[in-house]
Amino acid sequence: MKNKLGAVLLLLACAASAQQWQQALPGYQFQFPRDYFNHPDYRTEWWYYTGNLRAADGHRYGFELTFFRQGIPLPPQARSSEDAVWLPDQVYLAHLALSDIDGGSFYHTERLNRAGPGLSGASLEQQRYWNGNWEVRWNSLSAGTQHLEAVCDRFTLKIDLTPQKQAVINGRNGVSQKGPLPGAGSHYISFTRLRASGALKMNGSPIAVNGVAWMDHEYFSEPLDRDLAGWDWFAIQLDNNEELMLYQLRTKSGEKSLYSSGTFVDAAGKSHFLDVSQFSLTPGAVWRSARSGARYPISWKISIPSLQIELSEQTALQDQELYSGNGITPTYWEGAVSYAGQVQRRAVRGVGYLEMTGYGGPLRFGE
Amino acid sequence: MNSGWLLFERLILRPLLREPVRTALTVFAVALGVGVVIAIDLAGQAAAGSFHSSLESLTGKDDLLISNTGGIDQNLLGRLVQLPYAFRFSPRIEKFAFLNGKGEALPFIGLDLISSDAQDEIRPGALSHAADLLTTGDPVWVGSRLGLHKGDHVRLLINDALHDFTVAGVLKPQNGEIGEENVIVADIGLAQKATGKTGKLDSIGVRVPPGQTLGFWTDYLRKQLPSSLSVEPQGARTEENRKMLAAFRWNLRILSYIALVVGAFLIYNTISISVVRRRNEIGIVRALGADRRLITFAFLAEALFFGVVGSAIGLVIGRAMAVGAVGLIGNTVQALYVSSQPAPIEFTALGVLTAVGLGLAVSLLAALAPAFEASRVAPVEAMARGREEYVAAVRSRVMVAWAIILLAVGAGLTNLPPVHRQPIFAYIAVLFLIAGTSAIIPSVVALFAGTASSLLERLIGVEALLAMRSLRGSIGRTSILTAALAIAVAMTASVGIMVGSFRETVSLWMNDQLRADLYLRPAGLSAIDQHPTMSLEIAEQIAKLPGVSAVDRFRAYPITYQGLPATLAGTDTTFETSASTKFLPGENRDQILRRLSAGDYAVVSEPFANKHNVHTGSVLTLPLARAERRFTVLGVYYDYAAESGYIVVDWNTLMRYLPDPEVSNLAVYVKPSEDITAVRRQIDGIIGGRAVLVFSNATLRAGAIATFDRTFRITYALEAVAVIVAVMGIAGALLAMVIDRRREFALLRFLGAAKPQIRRIILCEAGLLGLLANGIGLLLGTALSLILIFVINKQSFGWTIQFHWPVPLLLAALTGIYLATVLAGLYPGQTAVRMNPIEVIHEE
Repeated sequence: MKNKLGAVLLLLACAASAQQWQQALPGYQFQFPRDYFNHPDYRTEWWYYTGNLRAADGHRYGFELTFFRQGIPLPPQARSSEDAVWLPDQVYLAHLALSDIDGGSFYHTERLNRAGPGLSGASLEQQRYWNGNWEVRWNSLSAGTQHLEAVCDRFTLKIDLTPQKQAVINGRNGVSQKGPLPGAGSHYISFTRLRASGALKMNGSPIAVNGVAWMDHEYFSEPLDRDLAGWDWFAIQLDNNEELMLYQLRTKSGEKSLYSSGTFVDAAGKSHFLDVSQFSLTPGAVWRSARSGARYPISWKISIPSLQIELSEQTALQDQELYSGNGITPTYWEGAVSYAGQVQRRAVRGVGYLEMTGYGGPLRFGE
Repeated sequence: MNSGWLLFERLILRPLLREPVRTALTVFAVALGVGVVIAIDLAGQAAAGSFHSSLESLTGKDDLLISNTGGIDQNLLGRLVQLPYAFRFSPRIEKFAFLNGKGEALPFIGLDLISSDAQDEIRPGALSHAADLLTTGDPVWVGSRLGLHKGDHVRLLINDALHDFTVAGVLKPQNGEIGEENVIVADIGLAQKATGKTGKLDSIGVRVPPGQTLGFWTDYLRKQLPSSLSVEPQGARTEENRKMLAAFRWNLRILSYIALVVGAFLIYNTISISVVRRRNEIGIVRALGADRRLITFAFLAEALFFGVVGSAIGLVIGRAMAVGAVGLIGNTVQALYVSSQPAPIEFTALGVLTAVGLGLAVSLLAALAPAFEASRVAPVEAMARGREEYVAAVRSRVMVAWAIILLAVGAGLTNLPPVHRQPIFAYIAVLFLIAGTSAIIPSVVALFAGTASSLLERLIGVEALLAMRSLRGSIGRTSILTAALAIAVAMTASVGIMVGSFRETVSLWMNDQLRADLYLRPAGLSAIDQHPTMSLEIAEQIAKLPGVSAVDRFRAYPITYQGLPATLAGTDTTFETSASTKFLPGENRDQILRRLSAGDYAVVSEPFANKHNVHTGSVLTLPLARAERRFTVLGVYYDYAAESGYIVVDWNTLMRYLPDPEVSNLAVYVKPSEDITAVRRQIDGIIGGRAVLVFSNATLRAGAIATFDRTFRITYALEAVAVIVAVMGIAGALLAMVIDRRREFALLRFLGAAKPQIRRIILCEAGLLGLLANGIGLLLGTALSLILIFVINKQSFGWTIQFHWPVPLLLAALTGIYLATVLAGLYPGQTAVRMNPIEVIHEE
C-alpha cells in the first residue's frame, strides 16, 4: 500500500525530480531474495511491519515498525564531492508505534536519518534494513525468517518472524497501479501471515508475546495523483487461514478511485487480485481526535460478493492516531483492529491493521 | 531606643552633615572599595561563565560528551546508534570562523541537521532543514547578532581558507540562553569539508535513557569505545576550564580587596577624628548618664553608616565598573587560557552579600578601636577645655615589638605550601607584612620627624618645620594616613614589580626562543586554545625555497590532562631549530633533543610540570589513537605562552598517532646570506589566496608584548582604584586637620604668617605624608613583590620569573601618587586660607 508516501515526499517536494528514476511498469520480474532489499533506482521504498500480539495472560498489543527510504536527487556538483558519506541522497524515515490494546494506551515515535556513516540503510549484503537501533535482520533468505528489534525510551520490542506463507505479489503483471499514467504504481509484495514471537519490555522485565504479523514492501518513483485526498488500507488475517489486503483511494471530491484494489490470499497461499468493482468498504462509527480535529471512521463494513465475504471491522483502542504535531509530517490513523463476519457463510474472526489518511484535511506536500 | 536614636542623631549624624565634603569622601572611599570587589566578582563570573556556551545552548539537553584528541572516526557513530538502548547521539564539529576573515572568532558548529535528534536543537525543525540542504548552496544557519539575513552570501575564514556559504536561516534567540547569538551552524558534512575534518567528528553528544545513573551509562559507553576516547558528563569541559581559571580569578579577587583594605584605614581615621572632635559632647553625654556601651555603639553606628551607604553606592558603582572589567578580564582569559565569550553580567545573591558583608565588616572592624577609645573618655576630663589634640596613645616600643613579630611570622608563612593549589598562606603572609608595617609606621614617623626637621627647614623653609611639627604632634593620625597610603603604594609597587619582572622575563625568553626570521599562522584573532591549521603544502614549498635553511612545523591539539586543559603539540626537534629552547637548570638540552625524536618521549613546559607535579623521568599517559600511550618526560622547559601548559613531542611521534599533517604554526629560518624581504616575497607567493599571516621576528615579539600588556591592564586598573581611595583619604584627613587646627592657623596669621604660607604648610604636610608613604610603600612593596613572584605566582601559576625593577614604571607610578597626594592638600589648604582669623579666635 501507499500510505506513508506523503511523509517522505515532503522532503524532496522542493527538489525537482531532475534525476531519471526507474518507473514501476507492468511486466516487472521480481527476483528474490534480491527484491526483499533496497532499490536505489526507485525514488521511494518502504518496509512495513504490523502485528497483533498477545502476552501469556491474554493482554493484547499491536505494533507497527516501518522503514522508509527516499532517494533524493542532488545537484551534480554535490555528487562529485570527494566525501559523499553525509550527502543526503538517501534519507530514511522510520515510524515505531505500540498499541497497548488492553491497557488503553498508544505510543508512537519517529526518526529521520540520512544513510551517513551507517546511521540507517538497507542492504542485501548485510541482510537487513535499519534506522539507528531499529532494525529488521533476515536470518534466512530462503526461509524468510526475520528478526525485528526496536528500542525507544518507552519500550523495547524484539520479535522473531517466521513466514507461514510465501510472499505474494500484489497488483497485476508485477505492478500495483495507483493512477492512470504509466509508472503511477508500485512494485508491491506482502508477507500476509508471519508467525510472531518475542519479547516486549515496557517497564521492568520483558514479557513474552506471540501473535501474527504482516509485512509490506513497496517501491516506486512517481508520487500519488494530486487529485487524491487520502486512502483507507486494510490488512486482514482471518482464523480460517485466509488473508485480505484492500485499499481504497479517495479522491478530493469524496469518490472512490478506480485504482483502488486488493489481494485475496487463500489458505494455500495463492493470491487473487481484486479490482475496484469487486469490493466495497462502508464507513461506520466515527472517532474524533481532540488533538488534530480529524474525524476517523473507525469501524467499517467490508463486502466482497464474489468471494462471499462479509466482514465488520472494529477496534478496541480508538486512539491510534499518529499525530505529528509539527505541521510538516502527516497525521494519520494506523492501528490494530479485529474483524468478524462470514466467509462463504461460515463464521470467521480475524485480526489485522487499518490505516486511514487524509481525514484531517487534505495532505499537504511540502512547506 | 528613642534616646539611642537621639544620641546617634545629635552625636553622629549632625556633625557628619556639617562636613559634607569629608563625609562624602569617606562614603565614596568605602563605595569604591566595595564597588571594585563587586565589579571583579561580577566580571570574573561573566568572563569565566561562557565557554562553549553557544554549543551548550544549541545542544543543551545532552548528558554526556564523547571526544577524542584529533577527532573521532565518524564510522564509530554508525556503530553507536545501533546500541540496544534508547540513547540519542548527536555528532558535532566544533571550530571557529571569522566573518570575512575579520573580527571576533565565531563558533562554527557542525551538527547532523537531518537526524531527528537535531530537531530540538535547531529550530524550525529538521525536515525543512533537509529541504534547505538540498536547495541552498552550502547553507549555514547564523545567530541573530551577526546581522545577517536569509539568503545572504557569507564568506567565512576557517583555518587558512575563505569559504563561501549561503545563509539558510537565522537562529531564533532562546530565552535566557547565551552565546547563541553569534554562532554559525552548518550541516555536519559541510562542516567537515570546510574545517578539513572529512571523516572525523570532534565530539558526539549523548542523551542517555532514563532509569540508570549517568555513571552507569558512562561506564557502559566506555566499554563500547576504544580506550583513547573520553566519555565525560556534558559541561565537564566548562568545569575544567573553570578549574583552570580558578587561580587567575582568585588572585584577581584578592587584588580587588586592596582598595577595601585601604578603605579600612580611612574609616579608622575618620572615626578617630570624630571621636577627638566630639570629646566634649562625649563628656557631656557621659555626665548625663550614658554608659560606655552606648558611646561605643554610637561610634560603631557611625562606621555602620559609612558601611551601609558606601556599600549601597558601591553596588551601583560596581555594576557599572563590571562592564569595563569584563572586557579587560575577557582579554586576559582569551590571551592566556581559553576561548570564551562574555556571559551577561548577573548579580548573584552570594556575590552581593559577600561584597556588602565585607564592606560592613571592614567598616565595623576599622571603627572598633576608636569607638572603644571613645567609650573610655571620662566625663570630667572631656569637659575640660583645651585638650583637643589627637592623643592616640602610641606606645612605640610595644608597637615595634609587635611589628617585628608580625613581620617575622609573615616571612615564615611564605615557606608553607599551597592549599589545594591556592597560595593561602602567602596571602596571609601579605596581611601580616601589611600589619607589621602599619605597626612600625608611628616609630618611623617619629624618627623621620626627629631627624629630618632641621634638614627640611633648611631646604624648604619654616613652613616645612611647622608641617613636620604638626605631623609629629598628631602622630597617631599621621601614622594611620601614612599607613593607608603606604599600603596603596606598596600594592601598586609590588604588582608593578611583579608584572615588570614578568614582562622582562618573557621578553628575555622570547629573545632566546624566537630565533626564526619569519613566522606563519592562519589569519584571525584566535584564543590560545584554538588551533586553526594551515595546509601542509605551505610548509613543504617554503622548505624548498633556496633561501630557506629550515622550516619548523608546529601542530597543537587541546587536550585534557588529569582533569585540566592542556596542549599537546608536535614540532620539529632538529638541533638547528630547537637549540633555543631553554630547559630548567641541570638538564642537558642536546641530549634531550637527540632522544626526543627517538620514540615516545616528551618535554613539558614549566607550568605544566608544576601543575601536575611532573618532572624529568615522569611518565605521562595520554589517550591517543585508540589506546593509552605512555610518554617519558625527558625535560622541563621554560615557557610563558600558556598557563595550562604544553606537552611537546617530536613531529614524527605526533604524526604516528595523529596523522594529520596540517600545521598550526610555522617558523622559517632564512639563510644568513639571503635577504629576508626577498624570501618573504616568495613566501607570500606560496601562500597565494590562503588566509595566512606572515610575521617578521620583530613584529611577532612586539605583538606578544602588546598581548602581554593587554592582559595586565586589569591589574593596573585595580591598583589605580586603591590609590584613588588612599588619596581621597588623605584629602579628607587633611581637611579635618585644617578644621581642628583653625585656632593654630589663626594664631599664625596674627603672628604675621601670609596666606600663601598657610597654604604651604598644608601642602608640606601633604607632601611629607606622601614622601613617607612612598618610601615605606616602596620598601613594603618590594617585599610583597618577592612574595608575589616567588611564592604566589609559583604556587598559583608555576612560572619562573626573574626579579627585575621596572624603574620607569615605578618612577612614574610613585611620582603620580606623590603629586596626587600633594594635590589632595590643595582644597584643605584653600579652606585654611579662607578662614577668618578674627572669627576663629573669637570662638574661644
